[in-house]
Amino acid sequence: MPQTLNDTAGWAPLALASDIMTATSAGTVWNGDEIVIWRDSAGRVHAWEDRCPHRGMKLSFGFVRGDRIACLYHGWEYDSAAACRYIPAHPELDVPATIRVARYKAVEALGMIWVAPLDQPGPAPVDQTQVNALRSLQVDAPLARLTQVFVTHGLPGLGLVRDVVADGAVIRLTQGAVRLVAGLHPVDDATSMLHIAVEGACTQQALAALVPATAALRRLAETGVAGAA
Amino acid sequence: MMTNPTLWNYDLDDACYRVRLMASLSGVTLDLRSVDAFPGNEHLGDEMLALNPLGRLPVLEHGALTLCQTEAILLHLARIGPRGAAFVPSDDAGAARMRDWLFFGARDLAAPSQARAVAMLGAAGDAGALNHAARHGLRLLEDHMTAQGFRGQGFVAGARATVADIALFPAFALCRDFNLDHDAFPALRLWARRVRQLDGFITMPGIPDYH
Ligand code: FES
Repeated sequence: MPQTLNDTAGWAPLALASDIMTATSAGTVWNGDEIVIWRDSAGRVHAWEDRCPHRGMKLSFGFVRGDRIACLYHGWEYDSAAACRYIPAHPELDVPATIRVARYKAVEALGMIWVAPLDQPGPAPVDQTQVNALRSLQVDAPLARLTQVFVTHGLPGLGLVRDVVADGAVIRLTQGAVRLVAGLHPVDDATSMLHIAVEGACTQQALAALVPATAALRRLAETGVAGAA
Repeated sequence: MMTNPTLWNYDLDDACYRVRLMASLSGVTLDLRSVDAFPGNEHLGDEMLALNPLGRLPVLEHGALTLCQTEAILLHLARIGPRGAAFVPSDDAGAARMRDWLFFGARDLAAPSQARAVAMLGAAGDAGALNHAARHGLRLLEDHMTAQGFRGQGFVAGARATVADIALFPAFALCRDFNLDHDAFPALRLWARRVRQLDGFITMPGIPDYH
């Protein structure tokens, strides 16, 4: 029996995979915790606490070199196992192995980057279905409200919502000929994100035409009115 | 106009940075005249007010010209610089789009610069209202660049960088200076990366140099 995302409790989608390019980093927040997501130059994805052990600055402001991420502030470099390997102020130093960044588990599935605590038991998401990334939408509303608006209205203006399936941290629904899949990402008590993609064949032109409807969803979730300015 | 243009410049002013960046990308050498805008308020002194009664930087002098509007300065540099023509579309539609986004930056995306000036440079203003307006404007730009991505167009007015991208870039690149994170703007993050990769790109404090 194929895995459903209900089997992967504890994992959350925190980005669209295509938004994190090779050798780049980005910050995000998950339930109030700051996380840096980065890809090394081989394309592997990593998720760590977004905090440099040196003075606590955000690693997401830093830059990727090869299989390391370097902190912007004083250049400390961390390898893909999150161990500090180089301190520019002391280039001759054999860096103590105890200097480490707190890590999360990170995998790619369903066109999204999924993250879980390092001690999360149970399986990781494995669905490698190709999807068409639409966008990550940040909304000033708790996830429960955004989810409720999304399952009711989909992307406003695209027509009646059908075939809603909630599967773990993902919701699928259909409007007209468009099958949407959205990853649910709680940012904090007042903010949430949807990482939205389209399943099945879809032209770039059709994706571009969906962007205004995503902005309408944001307005509807934030103000209760889709059409207001 | 044989001589280099003179830029009355304050390094931490994002509008002055737009001018330095456009000059560098266009291949124009500027003579920089330093103005202690903060904390010295020299831009409000008699000498600078005689040059620009608006009491604002940047000011560009070039021969008999004195220009006080950032966007006009950018267009002038693109016109006189040996590499500047690349930043002005030659087709009517492209040029019209460039101007549309240029005016968007001047009018609808003015708040980020003001919010930053309040947060960092001691300017007067309602920080809460400015931050809110800044985020709204950047969301509109994020929506636009998301759609541009699907159109295969990496910049605001088309597939190539124009003067409009240079005018808009600091509004996003410096928004952490007033505590607005980049997290909610993945399309702008990718766009800013493309701007950084332009030949002749230069940074300013707050825009890290990591290439
Ligand atoms: S805070 Fe990261 S290197 Fe100093």
